[in-house]
Amino acid sequence: MSAGQSPIDTFLSEAAEILESLEGHLLELEAAPDDSERIGAVFRNLRTLKGSGEMFGFSALAHFVHRFENAYDAVRAGRARVTPGLIDVSLRARDHIARLIEIGTDPVENARIERAPEARTLVEAIDACLGAPGGAGDSSSPAGRATPGQPAGAGPRRYELTFAPGLDALRNGMRPAMLFDELAMLGQTEIACFTDEVPCLDELDPTACHLAWKIRLTTDRGRAAIEDVFIFADDGAVTIGDAGPAEGTDGGAGAAGVPAATTQMRTIPSASAAPDPDGRGAGAGAARTESVRVQSFRLDQLMDQLGELVIAQARLNRIADQMREPGLTGVAEEIERLVTGLRDATLSIRMLPIGMVFARFRRLVRDLSGELGKDVQLVTEGGQTELDKNVIDSLGEPLVHLIRNSVDHGIETVERRRAAGKPEQATVRIVAEQLGGEVLVRITDDGAGLDAAAIRARAIERGLIAPDADIAPEALYQLIFEPGFSTARTVSNLSGRGVGMDAVRAVIGELRGTVEVHSVPGRGTTVTLRLPLTLAIIDSLLVRVGKGVFVLPLPSVMECVELPAAEAGRESGRSILKIRDQLVPFVEVGHLFGFETDPAREARIVIIAAEGKRVGLVVDDIIGQHQTVIKSLSAYHRDIAGLAGATILGDGSVALILDPPALVKSNPPISLEAAW
Amino acid sequence: MVTHAPQASASSREGSSLVLTFSLQGETFAHDVARVHEIIDPLPMTRVPRADPFVPCLINVRGAIVPVVDVQTRLGMRRAADEKAMRLVVIEVPIDDEATKVAMIVDGVNEVIEIDGSAIAEIPELGSRWPADFIRGIALRGDELVVLLNTETLFRPRRSPARTLN
Repeated sequence: MSAGQSPIDTFLSEAAEILESLEGHLLELEAAPDDSERIGAVFRNLRTLKGSGEMFGFSALAHFVHRFENAYDAVRAGRARVTPGLIDVSLRARDHIARLIEIGTDPVENARIERAPEARTLVEAIDACLGAPGGAGDSSSPAGRATPGQPAGAGPRRYELTFAPGLDALRNGMRPAMLFDELAMLGQTEIACFTDEVPCLDELDPTACHLAWKIRLTTDRGRAAIEDVFIFADDGAVTIGDAGPAEGTDGGAGAAGVPAATTQMRTIPSASAAPDPDGRGAGAGAARTESVRVQSFRLDQLMDQLGELVIAQARLNRIADQMREPGLTGVAEEIERLVTGLRDATLSIRMLPIGMVFARFRRLVRDLSGELGKDVQLVTEGGQTELDKNVIDSLGEPLVHLIRNSVDHGIETVERRRAAGKPEQATVRIVAEQLGGEVLVRITDDGAGLDAAAIRARAIERGLIAPDADIAPEALYQLIFEPGFSTARTVSNLSGRGVGMDAVRAVIGELRGTVEVHSVPGRGTTVTLRLPLTLAIIDSLLVRVGKGVFVLPLPSVMECVELPAAEAGRESGRSILKIRDQLVPFVEVGHLFGFETDPAREARIVIIAAEGKRVGLVVDDIIGQHQTVIKSLSAYHRDIAGLAGATILGDGSVALILDPPALVKSNPPISLEAAW
Repeated sequence: MVTHAPQASASSREGSSLVLTFSLQGETFAHDVARVHEIIDPLPMTRVPRADPFVPCLINVRGAIVPVVDVQTRLGMRRAADEKAMRLVVIEVPIDDEATKVAMIVDGVNEVIEIDGSAIAEIPELGSRWPADFIRGIALRGDELVVLLNTETLFRPRRSPARTLN
């Protein structure tokens, strides 16, 4: 795909987002049934879906959503309440909508699905929840038009509206008369039509809209309700000006001239509905136009260009250093500062809260526990932790897998939990937190834990370990990530997990992350994912080892110290340094890589954090800080332990990016335990 | 350099293929020319620690990081001490269904020639210095023996055992 998206694609991607948001709101409502803001949000989701569905020819969708919408309209108006039953039906209805979207616009299919029993059942179920027959086909009975309004007691206000739809508006399905009817339901309206723009008959295109309107509206329902009416009007077509409280009222209800219908409305306080006194409102989407929808490949392009820019800038710096021309140095520094700012801004655009992925797990856990007859609650923490968009995109599948495994295999049945003296309600916890340059995501359950004996038997069967191998349980648990474990058969006979865990590891590995599992028999299992914050550009420290220059990601660097000559000369094999009363093990990077170390070096130790512990890496010199554009390694080098990627330095040479935790863990391993 | 190439697409002509010949320790080898991107002079190389000796280094080819492949190690040949005449042939090979650029170290690049399919003989099992897996066949050009390399197998990365348990 190059430049544009077809409108239908835009609709589809928008619909997918709306459905996701709808699901989130419904699940929130289940917990807090009286949350009027949520109810309003559900209603708006449905209304948007209906409107744009209709516009793009998804007629079955529009009809179905219409019924669904009516139900929430009634809830909004206080004529019905949110019950667990309604949420249940709503969630099923949401899934039905997803299917309707899949079907597309084919009229035959649409008609067929509309007559299908499941659609009818759902509609009936929705109506049943309301305890009243839904107004068939009638979009809104007058009493049903309540909207989250101003805080109670604010009283009716006068609004001056102008509505000047574009020439294409009628062709796009806009029907002004219907909008005015809806406005009339909000309160008293005075409508004036401007015909100045209507051309003479010869030039008149009857399908074009040449009219504009000025509307004076007195309502106590607030600005948001008016915006709701114009939700499908083009941005800029509508202006809403607040002309202050209605005359002759002092904030009280029942002002003269306000139709009786409005006085019986329940006003639901809503923070977002505060009147906009400066009349800046650009119409329906005012609150929503603050964010811009951008296709992700454009972000990727931007990122690529930025990568080139960072490399070019490093070259410029180098030339400036060599020439020692004050003017040039000044410009180079200025450009460096700007590039850094641009980089941070670009990266922040790409950062999304991980909570976006969490949202869909609530549904997953809810449905799974229902299916399996288990009582499982999902607790999420750290949803605001941000990760690169590409990481977020790839993270959904593995997490679904892990959660499914937890609920399906990890958590025991209610009977067994009771017998074990555990609370009947099990808990699956997803916790995300940022730690230096990494984001940790932990999926913890309080289930039965992994069955070490079963894993061992399976590993021996698959030839992964020798039958007499002496392996600690923790090491044994990691075997579930081996491809040998991912057969369907293991589902039933391993009381742990192991379905597709190798796939989980593969995806996380592609993101340059790692995955580990910890388990306590009878107490539960924790899977920990470690993910890099970003995939693109990092701040780093350049170090020299032998003749080579290496890159250390700055977030993992804690401090740099000199290696005392006495320590360096020691041949006792002891490599522990005392730093401020703390013993820190250290390792020569040169030795790990089999490089000759420079005899004339000024050995320095870079203290890094590896799995929460401090470890020193001895290098021959520290060159300085550097912005590093990460390029991934080819298939030839991807698997080398301790290397995270490569980059191009200012002088055009290639430098390797180290992965300190993996480097420290790699062979020959240095004992982290030695110092503790 | 191009001597016998009537047209670039001739490699697809039935029965014959266009190949680039180059020398390694006095022997003449050939590689399908269609995959050749460019031929460059030696660049500063960055050694990759712990790498397979077959792919010991990385270079920067105009902004792209390209692994340097030493085919001699795979063909069981010793690296010549004299590296002065070295050239790098940048080719694109499919690795795990992913088009990957690699730079092949050669002593010198000779020419592009057309080799007739019927002129390609299987390499005799006996008396061959090179592992048969990596050779597509041999062809005679006058008195000269040209060894055709098998791109599919020659550049395949070795699966490191490090991926399994430690």
